[in-house]
Parts: sequence; C-alpha cells; structure tokens
Amino acid sequence: MKKLFNIISLLVVLSILLAACGTPATSTPEVEPTTAPETAAPSTAPEPTTPPPTAEPVEPIATLKIWADDTRTPILLDLADEFLAEYNVKLEVEDLGRVQDIRTPMITAAPAGEGPDIFIGVHDWLGALVESGLVAPIDLGDKQDEFVPLALEAFTYTDGKLYGVPYATENLGFFYNTELVPEPPKTWDEVLEIGRKLKAEGKIQYAFAMAGGGYENLPILTAKGGYIFGRDASGAWNPDDVGLDSEGMIAGVKFLADAVKEGLVPATADYETAHSLFETGQAAFLMAGPWALDRIRKSGVPYKVTVFPDNGAPFLGVQGFMVNAFSENILLAQTFLTEYVATEEFMQKIYEAGLRPSAFKSVLARMDDPDLVAMGEAGANAMPMPNIPEMGSVWSAWNNGIALATSGEQTPEEAMKDAANQVRALILGALAGMVNLPGSYQDKVGCGAQWDPACQATAMQKGDDGLYYLTVTLPAGDYEFKVALDGAWTVNYGSDGAQDGPNYALKVEKDGKVTFIYNPETHLVEVKFE
Amino acid sequence: MTSTPAPPAVKRGTPFQLPALPRLIRFALLIALDVAVFWLLNRLASLGYYPLMAAVLIITLFVNFVLIRREAYPLRWMLIGLIMMGLFTIYPIIFTVWVAFTNYGEGHLITKKQAIDQILDLTYLPSSGKAYSWTAFRSDEGDYALWLIDAEGNAYLAKPDEPLSQPQPGEMGVGPLDARGIPESIEGYRRLNQIQAATDRNLKNIKFGEEGKTIQIRSPSEAAELLPLYVYDPDLDAMINQETGVVYKNLRGTFTSPDGEALRPGFIEYVKFDNFRDFFISPALRGPLLRVVLWNFAFAFFSLLLNFSLGLFIAILFNDPDFPFKKLIRSLLIIPYTVPALITILIWRGMLNPDIGVISRLLYNTIGWSPQWFTDPWWAKIAILLVNLWLSYPYFMLICSGALQSISEEIYAAAEVDGANPWQKFWRITLPLLLVAVGPLLIASFTFNFNNFNLIYLFNAGGPPMAGTPTPAGHTDILISYVYNLAFSGSRGVNYGFASAITIIIFFIVGSITLFQFRYTRMWEEVGENA
Repeated sequence: MKKLFNIISLLVVLSILLAACGTPATSTPEVEPTTAPETAAPSTAPEPTTPPPTAEPVEPIATLKIWADDTRTPILLDLADEFLAEYNVKLEVEDLGRVQDIRTPMITAAPAGEGPDIFIGVHDWLGALVESGLVAPIDLGDKQDEFVPLALEAFTYTDGKLYGVPYATENLGFFYNTELVPEPPKTWDEVLEIGRKLKAEGKIQYAFAMAGGGYENLPILTAKGGYIFGRDASGAWNPDDVGLDSEGMIAGVKFLADAVKEGLVPATADYETAHSLFETGQAAFLMAGPWALDRIRKSGVPYKVTVFPDNGAPFLGVQGFMVNAFSENILLAQTFLTEYVATEEFMQKIYEAGLRPSAFKSVLARMDDPDLVAMGEAGANAMPMPNIPEMGSVWSAWNNGIALATSGEQTPEEAMKDAANQVRALILGALAGMVNLPGSYQDKVGCGAQWDPACQATAMQKGDDGLYYLTVTLPAGDYEFKVALDGAWTVNYGSDGAQDGPNYALKVEKDGKVTFIYNPETHLVEVKFE
Repeated sequence: MTSTPAPPAVKRGTPFQLPALPRLIRFALLIALDVAVFWLLNRLASLGYYPLMAAVLIITLFVNFVLIRREAYPLRWMLIGLIMMGLFTIYPIIFTVWVAFTNYGEGHLITKKQAIDQILDLTYLPSSGKAYSWTAFRSDEGDYALWLIDAEGNAYLAKPDEPLSQPQPGEMGVGPLDARGIPESIEGYRRLNQIQAATDRNLKNIKFGEEGKTIQIRSPSEAAELLPLYVYDPDLDAMINQETGVVYKNLRGTFTSPDGEALRPGFIEYVKFDNFRDFFISPALRGPLLRVVLWNFAFAFFSLLLNFSLGLFIAILFNDPDFPFKKLIRSLLIIPYTVPALITILIWRGMLNPDIGVISRLLYNTIGWSPQWFTDPWWAKIAILLVNLWLSYPYFMLICSGALQSISEEIYAAAEVDGANPWQKFWRITLPLLLVAVGPLLIASFTFNFNNFNLIYLFNAGGPPMAGTPTPAGHTDILISYVYNLAFSGSRGVNYGFASAITIIIFFIVGSITLFQFRYTRMWEEVGENA
C-alpha cells in the first residue's frame, strides 16, 4: 500500500510540474514565427497563374494579435477571413471585455513580450503608456485629413507624435426633459431659473443632479472660465499651471454650491441619483454621455440632447487603436492600421456597432442618430481629457474640493485653493519644499550622479535668517551648478537669478569646505570658502 | 501494482528498504521530472524570468532532497502543500519586498535593457538628409528594391549597397509607370503592396543606397536617410545625443540631461530606501495620517464590539431551548452571511442614498428628516459601522452559538446555588469562558477589519472628504484605502514601488498589533484555566 502511495504521490508532483511546464510549451509556436517570415518569404514567390494577389501557401506568413473590447471584437473577426485570404496574414483577435479592462493587462504583458501587436484604448492612457515606452508612434500620412482634428489632437502626446488611430469620441451632452422644458435654456442661470419655477409648481424635485465630481460637471466649470491645466507655447498640456483655483473654476464651483444651498441640486453627487431623478421626471436636466443613451431611452422619459448652456465644454474621450512598442510586427501593425482601419468602410462598421460619434469625418457626416448628432454638437468645443500622467493627481483632489464646497463645509474659494495645492503637492511628490544645488560637483559629495536635483546630500537647510545653507567638502577643481526647487528641474534658477538662467561657475583653488548660501528672495547663491 | 513483492528483507541500519522495481520506477520518474525542469529552466532563462527561475530551481532541489533523502521522509506528505506555499505565498512576498526597493510603476515599467534598446532605435533626419515615400519590390530570392519619391516628385530606385538611380520606364528593367508614378513592374522583382511588404519584419532593418547615405524605412509612408539619434556610453551610464551632443545621465531610472530634460521611456531601477523615505517625509505623513489612523482603530474596535455584541446577544437568545421557530429564524439570520459582501455593500449604498434610497425615503416620510449618510462625516462613519454590523453579526452568532454549547451546565447550576442572578452569571461565567474559546477569532476579526478595504472603498470610497488636508483624504478612509489613493493617484500614475513600501510598513503595524493582542489572549487562557 505504502509503495503504491509513494508512486502516486510522485506522479502527482510530476504532473503538477509538468502542468507548470505546459504553458511555455504551448507558447513556443508563438515564438517560432519570429524567424519564419524570412524563410517563408521566398515560398510566396509569384506563381505565373495569379500574379497580384499572393498565391495561398499553407502557413500564414505573419500573425497580428489584437486586443479589443467586446463591441469591437466581432467587427475585427469579420475582417480576419478577408485579410487572411488577401494577404495571408492571420488576425488573432482577443476579447478582453470592456475597453477600460485592456489597460492593466497591457501594462503587465507588454514588457514581458506577451502583449498584442495592436490594442484598443482610450487616449488618456498615453501618459502612462508613452512614459513607460509601451506604445509606438503612428504616422497617418495624408490620411490624417480624414479624421476629426480634436480626435487626433487627443491621441497626440506632448512630444508632438501621434500614438493612436482614433475611431470614436465620447463626451457629455445636455439632456432636457421636453415635457417640462419646451425650449432648451441658453445660460446656466436660465437652467436654475427654469428649475426654480418648476419646483415652485411642484413638478420636479431638483433642476439637475451632480452625477459625480469634476468630470461630470465640467460643462458648468468651463462655462464660468475654469480650466485644469494650462497649455505651453506649443499647445501641449503644462502640468506646472494647475487651474483648479483659477477664478473661473471657483466661480463654477460657487454656482454649484449656491444651487445646492438653494435646494435646486441635491448635495449627494452620485451617478445613479442623477440618472434616476432625470429618468423619473424628478429632475429637468441631466449631463450624460452616449453610454447612458440606452438606459435613458428605455426609461421612456421624453428627452432631447443639445449643446451646453453658455457654451460650456465637456471632456472629450477618444477611443482608438494603438501599437505595442514591443510588438515584433510594428511595421505590419502600423500598416494594418493605416491601410485597413483608417478606411471609411471599417470606420462605418465600428460606428454602427458602437453608439458613439465616429472620429472619421465622412462617417461622422453621415451619422443619422439624432441624439448622437446632438451629442457631437455638444462636444464640438470639447476639451480632450489631458493625457499627461499628472492628470492622475487631479481627480480625487478636484472631486473632493467640489464635494467640500457643495456640502457647505468650506467656501468654494477655500475648497478649490486646497484642492489646487493638493494637486501641486502630489505632482511635486515627496520632495516639495526642497532647495537643492544640482551640479557637476555632486558626485564628489556622496550623490549617485551629477546634476541630480533630488540628491539628499546637497539639499540646503533653512537657517533662522530665512536663508538656505549648504556646506560641502570639495577637492580643488572647476565646477558648475544651479539652484533647483522641490527636487525637480521644473523651477530652477541660474547665476543671474532668473528661471532657466545660465549655470554658476565655481572654481575651488584648494581642497576644503565650501559653503553655499541661497537667498529665496533674489534666487541668488553666494559661495564662501574656508 | 507490482507482482509478488520481495520478502520484507529489512536489514538493520537500513529501514524501509524498498523493493527494487518500484525504486527503479521512482528514480526514472524523478529523472524525467528533473529533465523536464531543466528544459523549463532553460526556457525561463532565455525569456529572462530570473526570479521565477530561481524559485523553480529551489523547489526542484527541495523535491529531489525530499524524495531521495531518507530523513526527509515525513516531509513527503507535506510536499505539495509546501510547494504551493512557496509559489503562491513566499514568492509574492519576496517579490513585494524587491519591488519596494525599486521605482517600479507607471513610467518605469520596463527593464533598463529594454529602455536602452528603445532609445537606441530612435533615429533622426540629418540636415542633409531627405525623406521619401516608398514602394517595395521583391525578387524571387527575397532581395528588395525600393521605388522612392521625394517631396518634389522626383523618383528614385534604391537597392541595398548601390547608389540611388533615376531610371526612366524601360531602363534597368523598369516597367511602365502607374498614375502615382510608380512602375508596375521591375524586371526580376515583384511589386508589393504596403501590407505584403510590412509582413517582413526585417524590412525596417535593410539599408538601401550606398554606404554613408543609407535610406531606411521609418513608417508605412516614409523612408529616409536616417542616423541613430543616441549612443549609449556604458562607462558614463549615459545616452549621448548625436545631433546636439547633450549627455543624458541615468538618474534614478531616467536618462536626464543637465537641463532636466528626460528621455522616454524610463526603466526599473533600484532606489534603495527612497520609497520609505518618501513616505516618511511626504506631506501625507504630516497631514491627515494621524486622523486616519485614529479612525482606523476606532473603526476596527467598534466594528468588533458591535458585531460581537449583537452576535452574542442573538446566540444567547437561541441558546434557550424553548425559543419558538428557532430553526427558521436562525436560518434567516444567517442569510446576510451567505450573500457576497460585494453585493450587500452596493445594496446598502443604494438603500441609504439620501435622494432615492429606500431607508432615507422611509425616514423622511415618517419623521420628516433623514441623515446625510454620505456627505456628513459622522453619519458616514455610522453608516459604515451599520453596514459592517449587517455583514458580520451572523459570523459571531455562529461561533458564539458553538462556544456556548461547550460551557458546562454544572457551572451555572453551582452559581445558582450560590445565589447568582442572570446578570452575574453572564459577566462572571459566560463571558470569560466564551472569550477563551473565541478570543483568537476576535483578534483575527480585528485584524481583518483593520484592513477592510472592500467595505470602505465600495461603500463611499473613503468619503466625505476632509477639509484643508495637504493630500486628498476622506473621513472614513482607513490606512489601507488612504495609502491606496496615495500610491495609485500620485504624480506619475500607479507607483508599485511606493505601494509595496507602504504595504511593508502596514504589515509591521498590523503585525505588532496582532502580536500584542496574542499576548493578551494567553493571559485570558490562564484566567480560563484558573476559573
């Protein structure tokens, strides 16, 4: 008995380990084709009978792996047979569920070489993907004129390169209950005016409800002149210019807070609340995106979609196809996107399946769903959601600021000032407040590298007189340095005391202690030798 | 399995001598296993998964040791369990500790080698260089020729290692041109469309034209005279820009110029104790951390107190054998425990909603007032405790019911003889004896609630927000949900390194609490024994 048991237990162990080996074993064929095309290429040589379309060899000469969401997968699968027949290239389409579910697998799989060649994503992932080197740029050539400019802008990163082929845009639209409100209001004050009147008549509970924080209320905030990040000279987002405490943003939040105080807007900001109130006729207005069209239509509430009052701008989210930078078929993937995806026929199919305004001009022009057309109009002035990684620091602080102002716990000024400072602190990171002297001397005093604005060894200490001090022991030699604040290069002062000014030159005659004294008023550094 | 086993020839000094045949089979299997593992290790090495490789190697050595060495014989029955523990518990812990000392996170997801390869791939168009649109032609031997058209519309024929030429149709085997000025055929070559050409992965690497002025395909629409933009200097650990001469030095996982300009992408780099330092000097610590920790303890303590009290109360009620409909009611009471917590939390969230929730409406319609469950700090805390009570009391009801059964009736009888009232019986007998049995479970429950991320995050995401804090924080945030926000919404997106460092810090906090409490239970045990 014991012996039998021994053997069985061994078998179990063996099978477990073999099962563990199983995965790589099956993945070998995927690796094989790396070399296959070169050897297979001559076999595709023309057969005299059928010159232009390649004759059909048994093995596909290449495989394109695509990660898509459940709506787009069937369309791509439809394409696969045609593509295989025409080019002998196999499309391997994997359905990963919702679009937002593609991001995390992509981030883990791509660096390990397990990712797809092409994947579907949203433009505001670019911050993470480009900074991490996971996505390859795309050149649309002449075809870029066929796309909606805002959609292309959204997929363009701060380096000016395009990183995706957009196919659909989504933004909030302004919904109003046509039974209660015959004519859509032109200003936000009018919105409240109508709400006030209808509430007095006992027809509604609220004018509208906040479906969330910043994203959901942006058309009000922008109408009052609020912004999130400024733009630099080249039009790229500038994370150093945080607009959460801009006058317009505060005015917009104040508008919301006053409406809550008056009882025209509920204090709880919640997606479900806002939609239920509108769908049951308890609220006259709603700001919602194309994803909510289905449920609003099902609810049977009489509604129309239109542009936002006061020309308020919603966020624009753009979905598109991107190319994995670790793909072994980058050229093929790019060509597939420019030749096959960036076509009217394909974009039309995607539009029909997706219930989103197309990012392709000719398809957009033929769009027949009146709600989507109206939503497109509401998004004509939309602001592409900033695609820089710093946007990640904004959401919770921004939403909290709005919540604190609307609950009356803080004034809108206080709440948004705090929010903006939180965002600035998060962007600066842990080293906010550090005054440093990065330079070519740093490796002599215990820093790992030269010109490191975050090196602890050269951080200056604030003295009682308000000046900053740093004393180091330096060997004789010529050095250069600069002043940098907050452990980063964003704010730095040169020898003329000006931002981005020239380097200080430092000549140390003999080995010894050198003391630097920085005056935060003049931004100038004084050097003393012992 | 085997035919007649050999006689039990147990010699002195060598016990458990196995018969020859099963031993042979055993060794054959072991060798097969080792060969398989060796092959696996080879593959893992070629893919660069060194930590996993080390883990598999250690496990295999362990398996061999256990199966060959006699003194490890008893371990055999634990073998599979130990392997699983190694793979799914110890390996991830080691990985977490490793990550805590790196800058792994968005912006630093790939290895240094991968990043260097990507940067070295970058090219630039020198001032004398030209860009063309291209069409590829391929010969039967697999050689390529490119038909290039520059911005002015001039056409060129380019072949590897040959200078560019400008043949007219009819010359050099060039066939008639199509509408776009591209020859329909070139003798010896076949014209490819863009996709056919792109299926060859090697195409991008082929250099066309003569030495020094080579043209490469850059994108589906462009080929150009390209030069590599960067050269890596391993001594300096720096990238040097060939166009401007600027040196980009490796600064904590990013090649950075003296002006602070960073090259994308960044890569994973050891940062020593930076993540821990960042936590201790960050505004997070100066800010609401103390309030968060206080509420964290209060939440865990009051959750435990309320849940245990209600569970115990119901258990005592049901301990009475004469209780009517006992079984039915008890079954109903267990229901909250059987419904997945995720669903229960979301349902409660809906029911407490001030505008559309059932409970709020009911309160409003009956007493004309309803608390702001989500926007008022105190009511939000009460709501969290209520939901947790609903989720957890059945658990305590169950364990208390069991523990109550184990308390001997004789003790109560003796107490009654001494004239104890029910109140005294509960405080002097039931509770102390019960605590002996459920004490460790209470600690486990405290620890669980201390890290009850699901409830906090799903119910209100830590809200409502606190005013005037240096980092975003909410009134119902506990440590784990607060640092989750901190690590995953910091300045550069998800920061796994920082998150791992915080995890380790929380581990030490929770670990020391648990250790402290177990000291106390030991004291309880002694009380129990003395009683």
